[in-house]
Amino acid sequence: MRPMASSSFMNGVPELLILRTLSTGEMYGYELVQAIRTRTNQAIKVGEGVVYPALHALETEGMLKSRRKLVNGRTRVYYALTRKGEKHLADLVRHWQHITDAIGFAIGGTAHAAVTL
Amino acid sequence: MLPSRFDRQFRRLSERLLHAGIAPRHVRRYVCELSDHFDDLVREEKEGGAGHELAATRALSRLGHEDDLAAAMLARPELRSFMARFPWAVFGLGPIILLALSVVGALYFEVWLLNHSGGVFTYLTGQRPGPASARLATRIYTVYNTLIVYGGPLLFAWLFYWMGTRQRMRPAWMLTGVVLICVLGGFQNLIFYDKGYVGGGVLLIESGLISPFVHFTGDSFFSPFPYAEGLARVAMNLAIAAGAWLWLTARTKAGATAVEFHTART
Repeated sequence: MRPMASSSFMNGVPELLILRTLSTGEMYGYELVQAIRTRTNQAIKVGEGVVYPALHALETEGMLKSRRKLVNGRTRVYYALTRKGEKHLADLVRHWQHITDAIGFAIGGTAHAAVTL
Repeated sequence: MLPSRFDRQFRRLSERLLHAGIAPRHVRRYVCELSDHFDDLVREEKEGGAGHELAATRALSRLGHEDDLAAAMLARPELRSFMARFPWAVFGLGPIILLALSVVGALYFEVWLLNHSGGVFTYLTGQRPGPASARLATRIYTVYNTLIVYGGPLLFAWLFYWMGTRQRMRPAWMLTGVVLICVLGGFQNLIFYDKGYVGGGVLLIESGLISPFVHFTGDSFFSPFPYAEGLARVAMNLAIAAGAWLWLTARTKAGATAVEFHTART
């Protein structure tokens, strides 16, 4: 299957993946991108560098907090989820669950029959 | 360690984002994170068996095209600086507010010092303040006042220049801020003299910012502030600021040319 590139359908996906991945613990950029690749089975392919603007924006909105940490002589910026981020993640997951259920239903899958979007 | 052509690419990206109004702290961190990420990718590719040059090229491709990296940042308006969003507030209102606050702050600090300096003098010398100490106090406070009214505007002018260049603002905005602070700063004055008896100190504040702005109209009859002195100080502020501006601009250009030459050679 071809990996998905960014499109309007991908709006909100980076945030969801970042928040979900960071919910397992704090990570720095490279580590986070590798974790996302593994989690999505490399199905979503974007330039790895574009994760940082999303991280900065989420931090500005208070969803993430960052701290600098010296690792092997290099300063890494580690990101972690805040309380607000946890709540937002729960909302996003619920929202995406609705959408995937609806799409599953529309293409003839076994999703729930009653879906409101 | 970044090879020079990749280094140049990151520098170009940085300039592009700053010109587009992204806050310098976000740009600096973004570029640092990207170069760290790039190093990690190069290491990963090398572990996979690629040579250094091939590993670097693959790493750059995985990191994303420069246009995509810039677009991802520019798509986030919340990462733009306050200065880029409201330049009129920073360079138009900023000088007036900053100058007014600094004069009022300096005045209050001086009043606080005056209220305590007599006690400190008595504590240190065991004597009560008299005519001799009044002359000394007048000299000390005159130095303080001179630093505030002469040095303050020039320091703030440099601050506006520094903030503007850091964000790669248009020179017109920076010029507005610098000229405003130089002109308004020339019409502020703090004067102190001591008459030599307790409660005999005189502290004067004269400001061209106070309505009805007679100081700017040249109506010296109604103005406590000497019009000619104000104009002379404005001219001096502008001359010093212009000299410093030209020198700093030439130095920045020389530095940028040296970096380009160095990266082109390597």
